[in-house]
Amino acid sequence: MRRSRPVGSRNERPMLTEQESRRYSRQVALPEIGVEGQLRLAAGRVMVVGLGGLGSIAAYYLAAAGVGYLKLIDRDRVALENLNRQILHSTADLDRPKTESAAEKLSRLNPHCRIDALQTTIEDDNAAALLADCALIFDATDNRKTREVLNRLSLRRRVPFVYGGISGWDGMASTFIPGRGACFSCLFPPQPEATESPPSPALGPTAGLVASIQCMETLRLLIGALPQLAGRLLRFSGLTMEFRTLQIDRNPLCPVCGSSQPQHHSTP
Amino acid sequence: MNTAIRITVNGMPEDVSPSTTLADLVNLFREMDRDLIVEHNGRFVFPQDYASIQVAADDRVEFIHPNFGG
Repeated sequence: MRRSRPVGSRNERPMLTEQESRRYSRQVALPEIGVEGQLRLAAGRVMVVGLGGLGSIAAYYLAAAGVGYLKLIDRDRVALENLNRQILHSTADLDRPKTESAAEKLSRLNPHCRIDALQTTIEDDNAAALLADCALIFDATDNRKTREVLNRLSLRRRVPFVYGGISGWDGMASTFIPGRGACFSCLFPPQPEATESPPSPALGPTAGLVASIQCMETLRLLIGALPQLAGRLLRFSGLTMEFRTLQIDRNPLCPVCGSSQPQHHSTP
Repeated sequence: MNTAIRITVNGMPEDVSPSTTLADLVNLFREMDRDLIVEHNGRFVFPQDYASIQVAADDRVEFIHPNFGG
């Protein structure tokens, strides 16, 4: 696997503890990860926005894999209609903030993972402060508007943005690396009169599948492997059991990252 | 003389006039989703190009509905 600089890794420790070596042994055995990759995961800082269907799976897998720091953002409380898919939460958590439920489960799962869980709404004016020094934006939101906020944040702060979305049996995912190809709005141009759409049908396994794909991209980026979905949209349909990918180029007329906008190029 | 050409839209055969553009197809098939994105012969098409791209016989056009749930 080709390596690039891992996103945001700093303060890497020289070695794994004995406990960590055992806990992560099955993935450290992967040549692409190894001890070096595992230490990079431990130094990884990820902001997960949304603790619903996608976020449940994402937060669990990222914490289990040994990502050192997770900042979790969600404004909602656990509701009964969440529980067909949001498996981070359980019946006993009804009416609790999702952040509180999540922090409890994840700390129990992996005490090596540091969790900050904030019950708030992410918007343009607080996004940069929430991101702080997180090196990756994990999209587990359920609407277009918040994804547009995350896209602007990604471009402004030059932080990778790993998108995933579901609708019923279908899902899609892509990775947006500022300065390298398309952004979210090149793919999904902003709609002037966008209104909040009603909740779309949601099936647990679809969320699990898409969030798992996003997690793989996230782990790749954290260990310094090249992302596989930058400049590509991966689509899955559970009705036909087909995966397809579509190449996405940067739109020169994109109203968010296009040539008429301030450039956000990073070094090539 | 304008003989119809056969293309494939979302996997289904469609007969359209030879001067049909992607913009025409978008208007025809838009249904209620303003957000759909367009794949033409396996390539993603920017919205600003819809009006200038004419389809040819055997072309494949896919309208993709974004998934924004989570």
